[in-house]
Amino acid sequence: MIETRQYDFDAIVVGSGISGGWAAKELTEKGLKVLVLERGKPLEAGSGYLGEHAPNWKFPYQGKKPRELYAEDYPVQSKVEHSFNEGTRQFWNNDRENPYAMDEGKPFMWARADVVGGRSLLWGRQTYRFSEMDFKANASDGHGIPWPVEYRDIAPWYSYVEKFVGINGKAEGLPQLPDSEFQKPMPWFALEETIHARLKKKAPDVTLTSARVAILTEDLPGRSACHYCGPCPRGCSTGSYFSSQSSTLPAAKATGNLTLRANAVVERLEYDENSGRISRVHVIDAMTRERMSFSARIFFLCASTVGSTQILMNSVSKAFPNGLANSSGVLGHYLMDHTLGLSGAGVFLDNMDSYYHGNRPTGLYIPRFRNLNGQDEDADFVRGYGYQTATLRVDWQTGMNARGFGASLKESLRKPGPWIFALAGFTECLPQESNRMYLSKKKVDRYGIPQVAFDFEWSENEVRLRRDAKRQADRLLKAAGAVISLLGNDDMSMPGEGIHEMGTARMGADPRHSVLNAHNQSHDVPNLFITDGSFMTSASCVNPSLTYMAFTARACDYAAKQLAQGEL
Amino acid sequence: MNRREFLQCAAILISGASASQLGFSLSAEQTTYLATAPDYNTTAVDYFTPAQRKIVAAMAEIIIPRTDTPGAIDAGVPKYIELMAANWLNEGERAIFDAGLQDIENRIPQAYGESFDQLPSSQQLEILEALEEDASDSEWYEFGNTLREFISEAPFICQFKELTIWGFFTSEEGASQVLRYDPMPMYFDGDVPLKNDQSTWSSPF
Repeated sequence: MIETRQYDFDAIVVGSGISGGWAAKELTEKGLKVLVLERGKPLEAGSGYLGEHAPNWKFPYQGKKPRELYAEDYPVQSKVEHSFNEGTRQFWNNDRENPYAMDEGKPFMWARADVVGGRSLLWGRQTYRFSEMDFKANASDGHGIPWPVEYRDIAPWYSYVEKFVGINGKAEGLPQLPDSEFQKPMPWFALEETIHARLKKKAPDVTLTSARVAILTEDLPGRSACHYCGPCPRGCSTGSYFSSQSSTLPAAKATGNLTLRANAVVERLEYDENSGRISRVHVIDAMTRERMSFSARIFFLCASTVGSTQILMNSVSKAFPNGLANSSGVLGHYLMDHTLGLSGAGVFLDNMDSYYHGNRPTGLYIPRFRNLNGQDEDADFVRGYGYQTATLRVDWQTGMNARGFGASLKESLRKPGPWIFALAGFTECLPQESNRMYLSKKKVDRYGIPQVAFDFEWSENEVRLRRDAKRQADRLLKAAGAVISLLGNDDMSMPGEGIHEMGTARMGADPRHSVLNAHNQSHDVPNLFITDGSFMTSASCVNPSLTYMAFTARACDYAAKQLAQGEL
Repeated sequence: MNRREFLQCAAILISGASASQLGFSLSAEQTTYLATAPDYNTTAVDYFTPAQRKIVAAMAEIIIPRTDTPGAIDAGVPKYIELMAANWLNEGERAIFDAGLQDIENRIPQAYGESFDQLPSSQQLEILEALEEDASDSEWYEFGNTLREFISEAPFICQFKELTIWGFFTSEEGASQVLRYDPMPMYFDGDVPLKNDQSTWSSPF
């Protein structure tokens, strides 16, 4: 029988960040009419990047933070020290206008963007594949449920997205960190070459390699190789780093099949009991408060882990009293984030007569080296961690509290000091039922939508991983030739601070214990797909965005085929 | 894309964009390019008395003097300090600052017979060194204690030094004539010979 119902769109995508941008591109390129709903403000690529290339003397207070403003309007977002400042603030959520219930449950930091493009404008751009070991981790050590997907299922999709994203890095042939499709790597500091040679001799169990980064070192159509100005998160009008603004949304627009609606706050999805499908999405305009709704054949939730889960939890019906697509009861549970923090930093007096040109917007990377072949004998934890590194030359900012006055002070402050090479451990987080987000029963936002609250605590395994990351960092810095190994700590980061929140609508083979099947499709509601971090069944220790992209592209392919076959 | 093309492209983007062309309703804040905004240091302020302005300028110049390159006064640091004292320090920090400045203003003429700014620079230096000596047990001087926003309890001399040094090296003069400034490096090379007298780069925030 021929479908006679009329739909506003073939597909509706909620969210325009990394995952939503990919869903928009893939679905429109397959000929579907797509509506993208973004709750944030409109933003034009390039001309909307108001902080780009502004010199330090243009910044309010010449770069000292507007403390009162941040305390009142951005108490959460301003804690993202590596990318929140007056050059990027326009992209971030205003915590006063759009709060979550921070005082309920246990503290969790929720970093949010508030513009078209979402956090793809602000991300760290680190792109690593999950490995076979990562996809097997749950099945082999019994934490969480097994992934319904193997590495070989997703490998071609990694390749597919990588060629479009543009990732620079160095092939190493490591089983624990499969190589991507690479552009040429960014050059290294002389000190990094020195350290590389020493580690090869004195710590052959680790590999120091180029970070794998979604920044072009070779031009792609419509995007230019990096010009090394430095602070990527202000936006990049040459499209040198991957964001949905620079890459996927323009591709989707070019098809003529895209409708993009900013200021569109999704309140809930409407479930139709007769068809067993989602029929409509209900939206509130953030500026006018006008209510509207749109229908479509399929719905992709790409609103970020917490955002998508909030929408499902707020979409209750007779059939789904505990949240849409939540017959399993796991929705909102198994929340994960990577712990991160400085594990160690070394002062180096090598290569003192070598300096640099340009601001390289990344460090290097040390892939996981613990528990690679079963359990290491000296490891009191499962799984592992990788280090992102940073290399910097001490300058006036580090030395400004020196004693003294006058020409000699000025002279010492203007000249380069020693080198510092730092290791920041990113450790895997185990999926735990008790780590969860939920809707507050007490607080609603300005649209009347219940606010999100969190209950999250690091497990003993993450504490032990952090401890080991500090211990090993000290060993590696000494092997690397640091004259002083300092500043290392094993403090736990604030949950959420990794901005890798994931896992609240996990995929699995068994509908009793998972929300999604192997194609990011809801077990309960066949025309619902979720492809942001909420689908993640485990966290690995590597940055997850690349995996969201690959699974999104794969899910779009599957959904479009199902539609074509009349299954949806 | 080479450097020249890039700058042209950036210039077109900046000059060509306006709210009406975008078709959106944007606030003034959303359409102001920071790169084309007036320098922060041109913001109007009237917090110090004329006598205090002279003292502040003389103190800043003792900390970062003009040598063969610009000094604190050339870089507009006294104005920066006035802006920060008026608009950025919190109440407690401002009380410490105001009391410290008034102390110089009142005590120095009694002890030396002339206002701080009228004294020979050797005496000015002596006075600041004595203040630093008195403040030497402040945590402000702790090794590595610089990667933070501000130390609210820091004594006046520490506040003053921090504002001077920060204001100087983030100014256009300090960043481009004392440090080195290149907004558009176009390539990265991690092994460039460091010539004997070269300054660090001015790093973007």
